[in-house]
Amino acid sequence: MRYKVLTVDDSKTVRIIVKKAFKPFDCEILEAANGVEGLAVAAKETPDLILLDITMPVMDGVEMLTKLKSDPALKAIPVIMLTAEGGRDNVLKIAKIGVRDYLVKPFKEEVLIEKCSRVIDLKPVNEGPAKAKSILDPADILVVEDKPAIIQQIQDGLKHTPWRIKGVATQGEAIDCATKAPPDLIVVSLSLPEDAAFTFFRMLRTNLKTKYTPVFALVVKTEVAQQQQAQTMGFSAIITKPIEMGELESKAAKAMNLDTSQRYYAVNGDLMVMRLPETCSPAVLAEAAAYLKPKFAEAVDAGFNKVVIDIHQVKSLHMGIIKLLFQAMQTCRDLAMQFVLVGNTQIISECKGFEDTRGWTFCDSIDDAKATLSKAPAAAPQLAGAAT
Amino acid sequence: MQVFIRNPADLMPATAEITEALIREYINRAVTDVFKTMVGREPSFSTPADTPQLSQSLTPPDRPQVVGTVGFLGDVNGLVYLHLDLAFARLCTCHLLGMTEQELEEAGDEVINDAIGEMTNMTVGSFKNGLCDAGYPCKLTIPSILRGTNFSIEPISSAVRHVYFFDCAEHRVVADILMKSDDQG
Repeated sequence: MRYKVLTVDDSKTVRIIVKKAFKPFDCEILEAANGVEGLAVAAKETPDLILLDITMPVMDGVEMLTKLKSDPALKAIPVIMLTAEGGRDNVLKIAKIGVRDYLVKPFKEEVLIEKCSRVIDLKPVNEGPAKAKSILDPADILVVEDKPAIIQQIQDGLKHTPWRIKGVATQGEAIDCATKAPPDLIVVSLSLPEDAAFTFFRMLRTNLKTKYTPVFALVVKTEVAQQQQAQTMGFSAIITKPIEMGELESKAAKAMNLDTSQRYYAVNGDLMVMRLPETCSPAVLAEAAAYLKPKFAEAVDAGFNKVVIDIHQVKSLHMGIIKLLFQAMQTCRDLAMQFVLVGNTQIISECKGFEDTRGWTFCDSIDDAKATLSKAPAAAPQLAGAAT
Repeated sequence: MQVFIRNPADLMPATAEITEALIREYINRAVTDVFKTMVGREPSFSTPADTPQLSQSLTPPDRPQVVGTVGFLGDVNGLVYLHLDLAFARLCTCHLLGMTEQELEEAGDEVINDAIGEMTNMTVGSFKNGLCDAGYPCKLTIPSILRGTNFSIEPISSAVRHVYFFDCAEHRVVADILMKSDDQG
């Protein structure tokens, strides 16, 4: 939703400064040079917020505010006074008419934005169509933990990713880091002294720069009360100690809204390769399944009509994997794509043990799969892959 | 120097006497605050060796000036002239509006007038808010601008005048405060 902010000020300079301050945010700035114009624009556009000066010709801000608040159609519009009139009595008198906040000039643009963001949910504007970040792109993760061993564990556990992990031990350092250069994800230990994790979380949510940064709570598995408190406060996820790195990585990728399809789908020459990892947890299978149809469709659209379903890394077969493989094969048939399976001896032998998978045939390697696919007649995809 | 103002005992339980020291404190705070917040410059209060006579031009001759004026009306009445040399006025405008010199050139003098008018409004607003909180409620008037070279302002005889100088790098800002004593109208 694009917010509308109305600035009512006789000074063009102030209106330009307001426009400049809101430029990085997704909102429309409407302008009026006095109270009469302000009321007219408010009635026509019903803005989400009004920034109102007091000393103006034709109709001043106090009169406009009074009229606005007595109009049933307009009285709900929040007003923030932005004025050089800042005497205590004046402020009190105007506050009684009904304003959300009062900002006395001179003012810093950041303070104006901060006050406005308490009234409307300002979101940064996207410059052009945003390109989704993928798991192959670098990202910054801030870990706030007073136990160096845990920071080290996370750094070691995620070192295969392109993510930069920075560890800090205190709330002060964390605030400094988070506000100077907001990271893509923050992981904070709930065991920091004096409930510092919760105080830090509240601070992050009130700061416009970190308002939408995902924050994970790091907590010992048995500390149920702390976990509940973190959930109630709105932490993005709970990571329990001892840390399961696969879970952390998967939740982090999801929280950072990363495109993780490269984990499972890649183009190799003129082939689409679907590859499952060694361990296929329900989360992994769900993630791979979510990308299946769009990725195969994308391949067809790009002119690739051959698929290698590679499960040679998978240690052991189970129903979840079988279901996903059936789904993949069916998608291939629906899209008239040729496909073959690549497996290891363990998997091939396990397949013989299930009624539904007994007839599947496998290639030993990608090269073998390529050779098989190149021999298969293009018009008969069903003959080129596994028997079903 | 003191300004004697009606003691509005019926309105205010207590009021501080508006002494020169109080005026100096308020205007110093106002000028410093406005220039620091809005244009990132910190002017320093100064007593120039070549302090001009009040009957003369307060600023160096042959140096074009942009002067913002805002008044305050209420239990205390007065007017503040804020003198900036044109070069500094341009610099402040560019900073305030995020414009380049070239863009300012294209935008014209009106933009400079409006920007300096607003800076004067903020300065006088901050100054008079001090007076309000000291027990002298008053309101601001709409800003206006004077432009010219080598001119002096002559107050009416009933007005009390305070002039303060501020240095900001190679530029000088002058705050010329005229206050009307109440017993004379």
